[in-house]
Amino acid sequence: MPRPLQRIDTLQTTELAEGVEIHLRTAGPFLRMVAWTLDLAVTIGLLIVFGILSLLIALFSGFENGFERVSSGFMMLAFFTVFWFYPVIFEAGKKGSTWGKRALGLRVVNESGTRITMGQAMVRNFIRGMELILPILPLVAFFHPRFQRLGDLAAGTLVVYARPRVDPVEASPPSLQSVPVQVALTREEQAAILSFRDRNTRWSEARKVELINHLAPLSGKEGPEGLARVLGMARWLEERK
Amino acid sequence: MNRQEFEKRNARAWTDLDLKLNVLESGNKKVADAEKIPSLYRKVTRDLSLAQYRMFGEKLCDRLNHLAIRSHRVLSAQRGAFGESVIRFTLTTFPQAIRRERKLFLISSLLFWVPFFLMWFSARYEITWVQALLGSEQLANIEGMYGEEETIEHLRQQFGSNFEMFAHYINNNVGIDFRLFAGGIFFGLGTIFFLVYNGLAIGGVVGYVEYAGDPQKLWSFVAGHSSFELLGMIVVGMAGLKLGIGMLSPGQSGWGASLTKAGKEGLPLLIGGSCMTALAAVVEGFWSAQPMPSEIKYAVGITFWVLHVLYFTFVGRGRSEA
Repeated sequence: MPRPLQRIDTLQTTELAEGVEIHLRTAGPFLRMVAWTLDLAVTIGLLIVFGILSLLIALFSGFENGFERVSSGFMMLAFFTVFWFYPVIFEAGKKGSTWGKRALGLRVVNESGTRITMGQAMVRNFIRGMELILPILPLVAFFHPRFQRLGDLAAGTLVVYARPRVDPVEASPPSLQSVPVQVALTREEQAAILSFRDRNTRWSEARKVELINHLAPLSGKEGPEGLARVLGMARWLEERK
Repeated sequence: MNRQEFEKRNARAWTDLDLKLNVLESGNKKVADAEKIPSLYRKVTRDLSLAQYRMFGEKLCDRLNHLAIRSHRVLSAQRGAFGESVIRFTLTTFPQAIRRERKLFLISSLLFWVPFFLMWFSARYEITWVQALLGSEQLANIEGMYGEEETIEHLRQQFGSNFEMFAHYINNNVGIDFRLFAGGIFFGLGTIFFLVYNGLAIGGVVGYVEYAGDPQKLWSFVAGHSSFELLGMIVVGMAGLKLGIGMLSPGQSGWGASLTKAGKEGLPLLIGGSCMTALAAVVEGFWSAQPMPSEIKYAVGITFWVLHVLYFTFVGRGRSEA
């Protein structure tokens, strides 16, 4: 099955041991930046909660026999845990995502789509701290075909959408005519025509025509007439099987 | 077979698998007919490749793709018992990783010890280097801790302050370890900087105590935890250097793959080294400042150093890699 070398989708194709190919939808840097900002807020919130707790410990210690020092020790341990391990614990957990990522429907997975280990979560999160020192580094993700930043590469992880795509695919009314395709199309090209048929009901007439004009050499017509012919071809392609 | 027929024929199996996965993903381990999941999973993978090949549309493919990913995730989530993996890591993986990376151990050690001794001995000839590096505030601190009058034992009589110091060492030293590792991402420069800087600073403290304080106080305080702390830092430094090498020389596998490999190979070093530093914090918090004759403290310190050498040299030899 021939494939164009450079696809412009964000699917990460992985072949499983069962021989089937699965597609992971990797998440882009913008969404991840939003998730990171949310997590920053969560981190600050957690630290405030622990700060209040350690104040309470200090109050109950009665400031005698040095027990009030337990409270400052408690606060340091809490800071250490939250600062370094909040994302690690959550990403290695069952849901595979921090609260920020979960709110945006993202999760962190292995390159084969499975849950990551504690160690991988440590690598990717500790390196993020360094990447933020030189904020050009996270931008590497923009240029990587799978949007992996350096920490992701070192840990071998991906950030993907946790759920399948939500944009609705509505069946369009079946085309009345069936138009034979005179040219031998590759499977990718056939798939593109079929997927256009499935998705075009959500777009405006002008947008449909604009897209379909690219196919004028194939359908022989431009404008709405070309659109009708391409939809007819989709019907022909499907009926042929 | 067209799409409608295909969907109609298989929909029951798909829904069945979907429901089972829902139960499992919600954390409930008891699923009716759990033994059917592998065969349902194989069926879904078959259906998925069929649907992809026959181009049954994105909606169906997405649905089957998602089912396949979820079942793959559930089926591959084999986690060994936590205790078992800790034992295996300590007795096999970690010491083996150190021996495999002998050269890095040497480099990382030199990066720490050379500046350490340079700074220490510089204090015997010219104290201004140390003064410039440590700054007046830290010098006053050192004089307070290891000066002629007061003793650390005096300052740390209570449980509360022992605990506080333990927490401080965890937060500070293990945090430094993590930065030491992550700094390797700057082509190893971050790691080298932290190792050299720590060597200079610790060597400077030793030199200054010799110059202005009571060295015996210092040695008897640090003896117990020194092996854990310094070796732990050097081991984490190895993991950071590993990352740096991965960034610098991608080799034939390409840049991303070499970084992934470096992260994978460095991981046992990061985990083992930072656990050693955490142990150092326990010793430093609860043992090192106990009022005790310094002979005992020296003996304990030397024992720990010898045990470390034995551990890194002999433990896990001949055992197959985990």
